[in-house]
Amino acid sequence: MSERIQDILSRWQASIGLEVHVELTSLETKLLCGCTLSRNAEPNTHVCPVCLGLPGALPVANREAVLAVARTGLALGCAVERRSTFWRKHYFYPDMAKNFQTTQGPVAICMGGSVEVELDAETARERPDAPTLRPAPDGGYVTRIRIRRIHLEEDAAKMVHVGGAEGRIAGATHSLIDYNRAGTPLMELVCEPDLRTPAEARRLVEHLRQTLLALGVSDCSLEAGSLRVDANVSLARAHAPELGTKCEMKNLNSLKSLHDALAFEVRRQAALLDAGKAVRQQTRHWEPTSRRTIALRTKEAFDDYRLFPDPDLPPILISDDVVERLRASLPELPAEKSARYVSQLGLRRREARMIAADPALASLFEAALAVTPETPATPEAPATPARDLATTVANVIVNLRPAHGCLAAAQVRSIAQLLHDEALTFAQARDVIDAVAPTGEDPARYVDAHGLRQNSDREELASVVDDVLARSEDQVAQYRAGNTKVVGHLIGQCMREAGAAGNPKLFSALLRERLDAQGA
Amino acid sequence: MASVDQLTAAGVASAIAEGALSAVEVATAALDAISARDADLHAYLEVTPDLALEAARRVDERRAAGEPLGPLAGVPFAIKDNLQLEGTHTTCGSRMLEGYASQFTATAVSRMLAAGAVPLGKTNMDEFAFGSSCEASAFGPTRNPWDLARVPGGSSGGSAAAVAAGEATLALGSDTGGSIRQPASLCGVVGMKPSYGTVSRYGLVAFGSSLDQVGPLARTVRDAALCLQALAGGGPDPLDATTTGAPRDFLAHLGPAADAPEPLTIGLVPRLLEAEGLDADEKSALSHARHVLADQGATFVELDLPHADAAIAAYYAIASCEAFSNLARFDGVRFGAQVGAPTLAEQTSRTRAAGFGAEARRRQLLGAYLLSSDAYERYFTQAQRIRRSIAADLSRALSRCDAILAPASPTCAFGFGERSDPVRMYASDLFTVGCNLAGNPAISVPLGLGPQSGLPVSAQLIGACHDDARLLGVAAALERGHGASASAEPAPVAPAFLGRGGELPA
Repeated sequence: MSERIQDILSRWQASIGLEVHVELTSLETKLLCGCTLSRNAEPNTHVCPVCLGLPGALPVANREAVLAVARTGLALGCAVERRSTFWRKHYFYPDMAKNFQTTQGPVAICMGGSVEVELDAETARERPDAPTLRPAPDGGYVTRIRIRRIHLEEDAAKMVHVGGAEGRIAGATHSLIDYNRAGTPLMELVCEPDLRTPAEARRLVEHLRQTLLALGVSDCSLEAGSLRVDANVSLARAHAPELGTKCEMKNLNSLKSLHDALAFEVRRQAALLDAGKAVRQQTRHWEPTSRRTIALRTKEAFDDYRLFPDPDLPPILISDDVVERLRASLPELPAEKSARYVSQLGLRRREARMIAADPALASLFEAALAVTPETPATPEAPATPARDLATTVANVIVNLRPAHGCLAAAQVRSIAQLLHDEALTFAQARDVIDAVAPTGEDPARYVDAHGLRQNSDREELASVVDDVLARSEDQVAQYRAGNTKVVGHLIGQCMREAGAAGNPKLFSALLRERLDAQGA
Repeated sequence: MASVDQLTAAGVASAIAEGALSAVEVATAALDAISARDADLHAYLEVTPDLALEAARRVDERRAAGEPLGPLAGVPFAIKDNLQLEGTHTTCGSRMLEGYASQFTATAVSRMLAAGAVPLGKTNMDEFAFGSSCEASAFGPTRNPWDLARVPGGSSGGSAAAVAAGEATLALGSDTGGSIRQPASLCGVVGMKPSYGTVSRYGLVAFGSSLDQVGPLARTVRDAALCLQALAGGGPDPLDATTTGAPRDFLAHLGPAADAPEPLTIGLVPRLLEAEGLDADEKSALSHARHVLADQGATFVELDLPHADAAIAAYYAIASCEAFSNLARFDGVRFGAQVGAPTLAEQTSRTRAAGFGAEARRRQLLGAYLLSSDAYERYFTQAQRIRRSIAADLSRALSRCDAILAPASPTCAFGFGERSDPVRMYASDLFTVGCNLAGNPAISVPLGLGPQSGLPVSAQLIGACHDDARLLGVAAALERGHGASASAEPAPVAPAFLGRGGELPA
């Protein structure tokens, strides 16, 4: 077996940097023209003279795209530059209609932010200096990652190579170009090489993804390519004055690929360095099937993209007022939301984090708590305060997802109330949810209509328990002899006696109460 | 009535509005003049009789239906071949775009059409507007109507020659470093580069995006102003982010000098008026201009533009960098010529080697070098610094006068092949490039024929940024004064072409 990452990282310090490309899928139009954004449209149906780079066409910057980047920057603690410019980056390739990419120069819309991410106790083992870092509540640690910049640029067209193996360019007879994607607004976030372990890299991408989802700027799909991650890594001795030679891996299209590719690279580079060899600066490709990276090209010299300010696009000016308006419009971010769920609603950290991370779950959760119950509260049956239901609602949302369709907020609330009242077991709840999710039916009504409501009347159940105990002398004797497992059999007897509607938890409690009392 | 070449744009529009002529009659006469004259001249790369007659018929139908007519209703105009017009080919005078059919229409052209003007066709130019003589057209040069052995200037040489030979009443050109003003000067017509940001560049095949402006060529200052009004009076273009919201009444100051509230102040820059290489005929034209402006009541103030000498170097650095970038898209993949090759890189190289002429290759190579990381700071950044100084110089100077008087071209029209050395050719842009760098408007006003050469001479007037209307007012005063002194038409049609074809119904 190969050496564990934590052992390698006790000898070598890894410096990992990420470049994250995010398609601003929530916008309506492309970055520099009025074409609508599309993902699955017929090829070359969302194109115009501008995104086809026809001679004479001119770009006009999409204001909403600029604002989306500025908002993201504010959410990630960046400074929003009051003046930045678009630049042209030149290279000849047919996926770039103009043979230059419209991107940004030294000054991006957002500069210099940072984010804090929390790592758990398990991953803390990979980082030798973890004990010196700020501790997280569950035995992990918190680390801060600096963001160098966030800029706005246009995406390239999609090329499809025909005739080669697996759509690769090698062996292809010809290539087709779909310009639908050309000019899609792309936000590029560059972080400093502050990450020390592959797990931290994965956690950072998760954190960014959750933040961007909460901001609503992108659907952030790694599979569909609306979130793309390039990672670079180098090794050096801890406290070495300079970073080692880095290798970069492009387009890691899942969190697992990101983690595994980095772990592979850490091992590969450590093996070279341990053997006294040098790492060559390379762009490498992660092959998930063979679980290794292969060299794509070695950087002998610096690529000259002949960058210069785009004369067709006036400077991007963002006033103080706009910045303040954007700041005020920021939604509650997942980290804040999760903390609030724990401190104010008493959720467990796991459920709080899972719900807060997903805007759809978070809004379902909050809507369910806000639902006014259908049956009016009476003095005999007062409505349960929402706060007391919060953990149950969270439990339903996280752990009881329907097989098909999804639950409405009122349905979630109703299920939670049934569970809270012990009118339904957890196992029954799963079946009820699968039944009502596709139809939209009220779970309470469904439960009553199908006679599923559990009997939790203490007195009724106690008389059943007494009957069962009276005719189960053998089991009572066994229990007293120390075989407490017989309780299961006795619960079964009670359930049969009560006609399946009895609350098994209550039966269990009543049985133990009596058995233990008689035994004392 | 005689030939269409006797009419100004204002004259055509009013004759049609009054019903003295139909738009179809004018269009037919203009097309007839082209077929009678252009074999000698080669001003046009493509003539569009169908588009012209269709547009003319629409004007006549509107008039018949009693609908309001546009200010240029029925006025025949020519279009430089770097402006897109659907239904035509747009080649930029290059093999690279030979046969390329326009996929959309430039805003400048569509605004002319909206004003009722009638498109006659596309005019010849130096390849991608790189040149000052029209000799760099891949499809053969245009000749100067005043002397067929001489160049018409460039790069808008076809447009200038078409207007000078009476083959169009108005023409659109583009000016990156003098490409409207210099051929206007050499052909004896009015040519104006408006302030940067006045006319939309959408649909103009870009050469130097921060320098290019579309502008009019005409036989009178008023026609030029009418044309500019049609091009830019509608306000900024949402498709061109560099267009500005500056005032757009270009006809405001065209009246007699007596109407002006204050006498004109004209700036004189000795550095320009006494520049080395300025020939005797152009010098005498400038002193003639001073006299007629003085007769119009103007006073003069001496000024300096201290960075003027650095303009050519800064211009060729910036323009070449932008050209390199703008022309990168011509790789034979999506449009234009393609030379096949086993690999993409080879195909790109071979296509570009075959498609571009020598001057286009030279400019792109220069730009590629100047933008490389080794050279960028030393040249591009430095050129931008000079550019800001030149703009500051002009702004300061124009705060003290209404316009600066300067040459447009150092010489009259020169012979074919006379300027084969590119650096000598670049030097002829000395008086024009400063305004492109700074964004100021400038206009070349014809002042008759040089006493020694017998060829057209001119003066250039430079105005304050976004005060194109005032500049046109000064140009009108100069034209009026010249007309009074020479008792001649402002910009006569070249005699060899006058009245050849183009007859209008009596």
